[in-house]
Amino acid sequence: MTPPFEMRGGHVRRDGRDVLRGVDLRVAAGDVVAVLGPNGAGKSTLIKALLGLLPLSGGSTAVYGVPPARFRDWGRVGYVPQRLPMGGGVPATVREVVASGRVARRSRWLPALTDRGADRAAVDRALAAVGLAGRDRDTAHLLSGGQQQRVLIARALAGEPDAFVLDEPTAGVDATSQLDLAGTLGGLVAGGRTVVLVAHELGPLAPLITRTVRLAGGRIVADDGEAA
Amino acid sequence: MEMLQFEYMRIGLVMAVLIGLTAPAIGTFVVQRRLALLGDGIGHVALTGIGLGLLTGSSPILGALAVSVLGALAIELLRARSRSGADVALALLFYGGLAGGVVLTGRSGAGTASLQSYLFGSITSVTAADLYVIAGLAAAVLLVVALFGRELFLLSQDEELARAAGLPVRFLSALVAVTAAVTVVIAMRAIGLLLVSALMVVPVAAAQQFARSFRGTMLAAMAAGVLSAVAGLAGSYQYDLPPGPSIVLLALAVFAVAVAAGGPLRRRRTAAARARAAEPEVMKS
Ligand SMILES: Nc1ncnc2c1ncn2[C@@H]1O[C@H](COP(=O)(O)OP(=O)(O)OP(=O)(O)O)[C@@H](O)[C@H]1O
Ligand SMILES: [Mg+2]
Repeated sequence: MTPPFEMRGGHVRRDGRDVLRGVDLRVAAGDVVAVLGPNGAGKSTLIKALLGLLPLSGGSTAVYGVPPARFRDWGRVGYVPQRLPMGGGVPATVREVVASGRVARRSRWLPALTDRGADRAAVDRALAAVGLAGRDRDTAHLLSGGQQQRVLIARALAGEPDAFVLDEPTAGVDATSQLDLAGTLGGLVAGGRTVVLVAHELGPLAPLITRTVRLAGGRIVADDGEAA
Repeated sequence: MEMLQFEYMRIGLVMAVLIGLTAPAIGTFVVQRRLALLGDGIGHVALTGIGLGLLTGSSPILGALAVSVLGALAIELLRARSRSGADVALALLFYGGLAGGVVLTGRSGAGTASLQSYLFGSITSVTAADLYVIAGLAAAVLLVVALFGRELFLLSQDEELARAAGLPVRFLSALVAVTAAVTVVIAMRAIGLLLVSALMVVPVAAAQQFARSFRGTMLAAMAAGVLSAVAGLAGSYQYDLPPGPSIVLLALAVFAVAVAAGGPLRRRRTAAARARAAEPEVMKS
């Protein structure tokens, strides 16, 4: 089976500095990979490069076997960024943000063909999964930091992807919500989904992790899943 | 209602409604993308198009349309290419557009009164033929917003998220710029090129004060836009003022009211949201 993500000798330069220095990482379907490392180690850079959001200055990377620039099936990948982007300050409701996670599933040239009932149901399920059911009409930016994090997780869940890429999904999230998230991810993993997540504290997610990759100074310094 | 006896006022009112609807609609995306000055840049560049149109004896509207679409694409290219250099490059485009426009308009022998009417608006000069062109352009702008609204929402939220969703970020960014350029051309006769982008920004800033949702912001901004444009035009007729500045001053008044009323409303809402969040058990049942 084609691996969801495969990077070979990945180099990334940002502002003239080498931030990623020769990373080899093959994530197989069904893996639950935790990327650990100190601040500035290059964890966010690594997962952005895996998704093609940052250009490589050397090496190669592929999403489901295809270089990101030519990959088309983005509905298969759900990305949770480290922070809820603010933009120019126009308010958006929780539902609007979460529903935007389904954009990749829309028919690009015939958006009218999109099944609105299915969209709505998926958004409702995602909101319930992160404990934000009933908050869908609130303005996302007026929520607390941990709640905003959960909105972003719901956004990825709503897209019903095969692979999740989460940048510190539990940062600032309270203990109960972390347990909920672990439960939700556990269900998805049991269903064969792939997860790559960055974390400083694994907490309740620890039992789900099948592989731990440790990053320091832009290099992988430990990887307990390399055997495969 | 006596003013409706003049054909130019009837044309003007239809135009005011079209401007009031389109400028804030695309403006909501433009503001969320932090491109509030995009409309100003396009406005300056459009003047060169008007000058070209006058000089070559063709339609100033079509000249402005062609040059402002090209200008918008140039601005978008500069924005996407470089982070630091874009600032200066944009400024160069602004000055070049304005200076070029004034020189070309002068060469065409159109005179300062005509130049003034393009800079600050004049509704009396709009013909029924102009109106058809403008109505067609307005329909195109609203169609873009209706068809690509969800994609443009994600794009203006965050380009990185849009790219991770597989959206054609460069195409959509260009689409926003071109649609803004078309809006500038729609509004330039009534409001004038120097004030044209006010209606893209000010009604949105007003709606932002009290709306909860992106959609709500856009609809409220469109309502505020139509209100300011129609009332501003009527007022300018009543008191014999230039229409552009009257419309913009009214929009600013709407903004001031929204700020005064919106602040307390938002504080109450935040407090309520935080309070609800403090009772997770209630929420989950
Ligand atoms: N937008 C940027 N432009 C230039 N350099 C950047 C940018 N973002 C991060 N960097 C640099 O890249 C390096 C790695 O940053 P990265 O965000 O990948 O770290 P991280 O491991 O995710 O850290 P954290 O735990 O704080 O999230 C840092 O040294 C940082 O200075
Ligand atoms: Mg990070």
